[in-house]
Amino acid sequence: MSSQPILELRGISKYFGNVTALEGISTTVEAGKVTCVLGDNGAGKSTFIKILSGVHQPSAGEFLMDGRPVNFISPREARSAGIATVFQDLAMAPLMSVWRNFFLGSEPTKGIGPVKWFDSAFAKRTAKEEMAKMGIDVRDVDQPVGTLSGGERQSVAIARAVYFGARVLILDEPTSALGVKQAGVVLKYTRMAAERGLGVIFITHNPNHAFPVGDRFLLLNRGRSLGDFAKDEISRVELSRLMAGGAELEAIEHELGIG
Amino acid sequence: MWPGEVGEFMSETAVDSAPVAKADERIVHRGPLQRWLVSPEIGALIGAVIVWSFFWGNARTFGEADSTLNWLDVAAPLGIMAVAIALLMIGGEFDLSAGVMTGATAILIGLMATYFGGEGIHIGWSIGAAFLAAGAVGWFNGFMVNRTGLPSFIVTLATFFVLRGVMLVMSKRLAGKVQVADILEQDGAKTLKGWIAHEWMFTEFKGRDFLFLALVLLGGAAFAYGLLEQSFIRRQGVSLVDLALSLAGLAAAAVGFTALNRTDGVGANVLWGLVMAAGAVLLAVSTSRARWKPRSTRLTDPVPRGVLVRVGVGLLGITLACLTPIPLDRSVDVPVLTWVSSGLRPIVAVVAAAVGVFLAVRASVPAIRARSLRGEVPRLLFFAPYCGLTLMVSVLSFFQLSTVQGLRAMAMLALAAGGVVLLMSARGLAGRSSTGWQAVIGLSTAVAILVLALVIRADAGAVRFRTGLFTAMCIGATLIAINTLLELSMEKRRNSDPKADRLGKRLQFAGFTLAATGMIIRVVWSNLTPENAEKVKAAGGTVGQNVLRQPVLWWALVAAIGAFVLTKTKWGNWIFAVGGNQDAARAIGVPVEKVKIGLFVVVSLCGCLAGTLIALRYGTVQANQGTGLEFEYIIAAVVGGCLMTGGYGSVIGACLGAAIMAMSTNGVQSTGWNSDGRFAFLGVVLLLAVLVNNYTRKKAQEAR
Repeated sequence: MSSQPILELRGISKYFGNVTALEGISTTVEAGKVTCVLGDNGAGKSTFIKILSGVHQPSAGEFLMDGRPVNFISPREARSAGIATVFQDLAMAPLMSVWRNFFLGSEPTKGIGPVKWFDSAFAKRTAKEEMAKMGIDVRDVDQPVGTLSGGERQSVAIARAVYFGARVLILDEPTSALGVKQAGVVLKYTRMAAERGLGVIFITHNPNHAFPVGDRFLLLNRGRSLGDFAKDEISRVELSRLMAGGAELEAIEHELGIG
Repeated sequence: MWPGEVGEFMSETAVDSAPVAKADERIVHRGPLQRWLVSPEIGALIGAVIVWSFFWGNARTFGEADSTLNWLDVAAPLGIMAVAIALLMIGGEFDLSAGVMTGATAILIGLMATYFGGEGIHIGWSIGAAFLAAGAVGWFNGFMVNRTGLPSFIVTLATFFVLRGVMLVMSKRLAGKVQVADILEQDGAKTLKGWIAHEWMFTEFKGRDFLFLALVLLGGAAFAYGLLEQSFIRRQGVSLVDLALSLAGLAAAAVGFTALNRTDGVGANVLWGLVMAAGAVLLAVSTSRARWKPRSTRLTDPVPRGVLVRVGVGLLGITLACLTPIPLDRSVDVPVLTWVSSGLRPIVAVVAAAVGVFLAVRASVPAIRARSLRGEVPRLLFFAPYCGLTLMVSVLSFFQLSTVQGLRAMAMLALAAGGVVLLMSARGLAGRSSTGWQAVIGLSTAVAILVLALVIRADAGAVRFRTGLFTAMCIGATLIAINTLLELSMEKRRNSDPKADRLGKRLQFAGFTLAATGMIIRVVWSNLTPENAEKVKAAGGTVGQNVLRQPVLWWALVAAIGAFVLTKTKWGNWIFAVGGNQDAARAIGVPVEKVKIGLFVVVSLCGCLAGTLIALRYGTVQANQGTGLEFEYIIAAVVGGCLMTGGYGSVIGACLGAAIMAMSTNGVQSTGWNSDGRFAFLGVVLLLAVLVNNYTRKKAQEAR
C-alpha cells in the first residue's frame, strides 16, 4: 500500500447555474482503503459520484490522481484511467448469462484473420475464477443474471470492475435495496475488493453499513462537508449522530430507548 | 440494521477473507437433456414436429421428397427475413417495413431492368442499386430511431407507407400498371438467375435410402453417445464382460437390420425387428457399463403415492386405444351423429347437458359452503342451464362435424398419448424414491407402446401408418427401454466435467450433422427410376419433380451467419445487451447506436435479398408484393422463442418458426382443405408455441 493516495480531492465545488450542488469538498482515496461517502437524500452524493466518474466536471477545486491534476471530460476517459463505477442498476442485462454480462463491452475474441469470434470458453472460465476470487461460487455461469440474488448481482458487478483493471471502485448505494443478510454479503465483497489493492469509494446513507467497512468517512450535508474523518477519529455513535442532524436523532433514540 | 448485526458482518469478513469456493449442495447438476430443454427454440422445435406429424398423417403427399422441397421453397424468403427480424427483435426493435421492402426491391429491380434509360439497364446493375437503396432505407430507419427516440414501430410504419406509395406510383408511371412483368426476358437475367436463383433438378439415386439409413443410424448413435458422455462418470479400467456383451448386442442389431432389409413377410419382419431392438438395448446398456461407472440398486423400495393410480389409468388408456377399432369402423365416412342409432341420440344430448349442469354446480360448491345457498341461487339458475346448453350444443355439433373415421383417429390418438404421458409421469415420480419401480414402469411403458404399434400396424388403413408410424413407435419403445435400463444401472454425474462435456457436445454436433446430411440426401433425390415412376403412375400414385431451388441455400447461409454472429461473436453479445438493457449496455461502453443501425441495415439488405430472389424466381412482381408479410416474419420470430420485449431469442428458433408457417401453408393445401384454413391453423400454432416458450423460460429461471 503506497502512502500516496490514488485520488485526492481538494475543495471541489460544483454549481448548476445559481444552485450550489457541492461546496469545498476534500477527501482522499488510498489503495487498499475504503472511503465512505455518507449523506442523506439531497446531500450531494450523486453529484459527487458524477464528478468522480467523469460525468460532470468540477466548477472549482483540484482533482488529483496519483498526485497529478486530472480533468475527465467523459465517463469513458475516467474508466480508462481506472475509475470504475458500479451504479445502482448495475449495468447488466437480466436475461443474459453471467459470463456474457461479465465480459459485456470488452469481449475476448480469437479467430483466424478477419473472422473473430467470442472466446466463450475463456470467458466462462475467467468469470468463474474471478467470482471465486471474490469468494463467490457461481454454480453455473450460464444462468441468467436475473436469477441471481441482489447481493450476488452486486458481486458480479464488483468482480467485473476488478477484473478489468479498476484501481478505484465507486459503489453507488450498493446496499440500499438489499435485505440484512444480502447487505452483509455486499459489505464483505467491498472489503475484499479493498484487500485486493483497490481504492474503494462506498456511497451510502446508512452509517451502520459504512462503519464496519470504512477506513475514512466523508460526511455530506446539503452540498457541504460535515467533515472528513479517519476511522480512529470517529466512533459509530458519533457518525450516526452527525449523519442524522445530531441532537435530533439522539432525542429520538432516547425516547425509543435504544442508543 | 442495528449494531449487533453489524458486528456479525465484521466477524464474517474476518473469517471468510480467504476466498473459498465450495460446491453448493443445494444445486442439482443439470443433465444434458434438462439443459437442452430450456433453450429458447424448444417451443418451435416441438411445434415443428407436431405440425409435420399432423400433416404427414393427414395428407398423402406431405413428407415426400418433392413436397418437402416445395415447402422449403415457400419457407426460404420467409426464413431469410425471419432470421433478420429475429436479430432485430432480440436487439429490442421492430421493423414493419420489412415486408414491403421485399416487394419494393423486387419492383425496383424489375423497373430498372425493364424501363430505365429507355429499354432498361443490365439487371446486375439494377440488383446492385436495389441493395444500395435498401441499405440506405435501413440506415434511415435506424438513424431515425436513434435520433428521435421514437418507438421503431412508428418510424418503420412511416417507412412502410412511404415505400408502398413510392413503389405504386413508380410502377404506374413507368410500367403503366401495378405490376412489372417479363423481368427474366431482360438482358442477362437468365444468366444471373443461374447464379443466384438456380434450380437443380434431381431424379433418381439408387443408393439414396441405404445412405439415408446409414447416415441417420450413425448420426443417431454418435448423438446418443455424446449424451451419455455428458451424463455419466467415467470408470477406471474396462469391464471385459460388458465389452463382450456390447459386441454381442452390436452383432444382434446388425443381423436384425440386415435380415429386416431382406425379408418382406410380416412375421419375419416383426421377428427381426425384435432381434434388432433387443440388440440395440444390449449394445447401449453394456457399452455404458463398460465405459462408465455402474451402480447397484435395490429393487425393494416402497412405491411412492400416486404412482400406482397413474400406472393403472395410463395402462387403461392404452388398452382402450387398442380396443377403439372394434366399435368404430375405419371405413365409415359418415358423421358420428348419423351413425349413432336414432334412439341413442337424445341420450347423448341429455348426458352432455347433464355433465354441463353438474360442472356448473360443482364450480359453485365452495361459494355455497363459504357463504350461503341463497346468494348463489340466481347465479346457478342462469349459469347451470347455460353450461348445460353450451356443452350439449358443442358435443352435438362435434358429432355432426366429425366422421366416424375422424372420431376413431382422435380417440385413438388421445387415449394412446394420454396413456403414454401418464405412464412416463408415473415413471418420473417413481424415480424420485424407487429406482426399481421406475425400471418396472419404464419397461412396461416400452412394452405397451410396442403392443400399440402392433395394433396400429394390423389395423391402420394408410401405408405410411403401417410402416412409418409403426417404425417410429418401435424406435420410441426401444429408446424408452434403453433409457430406463440406463437410469437403473448407471450412476449419474452430479457435477460438471468440462472435458467430458466438450467431447459429448462435439459428438452430438457430429451426430446431428451426419443425420442432417442423411435427411438432405433423402429429401433431395428421389428413388424413382423412370421405370419405377411408370409403375407408380400406373398404380394411381403421383410422381413429383424434385427441384431444389437456390433460395433454400441462401436461407441456410443467412441462418448460419446469423446464428454464428448472435451466439459466437461480440456483436451478438451486444445485440442481446442492447435489447435486454439498453442503458446498461451504453454505460458499459457498447456502441448502442451502431448496433441498432447495423440491425436495421441487415433487415433491409435481407429484404432486398428476398426481393431479388422473388424477382428472379417468378419474373413477374406485383406492386403489393410483400405487403402484410412483416407480421408473418414477426410471428415466425416469436414462435421461434424471441421475446417481444427484446433481449432473448434465437436464430435457429426463427428458422423453425418460418418452417412451421411454410409447412402449414403447404400442408393445408395438400390435405385438400380450403387453403384459407391455414390462418386458423397458424393462429393456434402461434398461441401454443408461445405458451410452451413461456413455460420453458419460466422453468429455466426457476430450475437454477
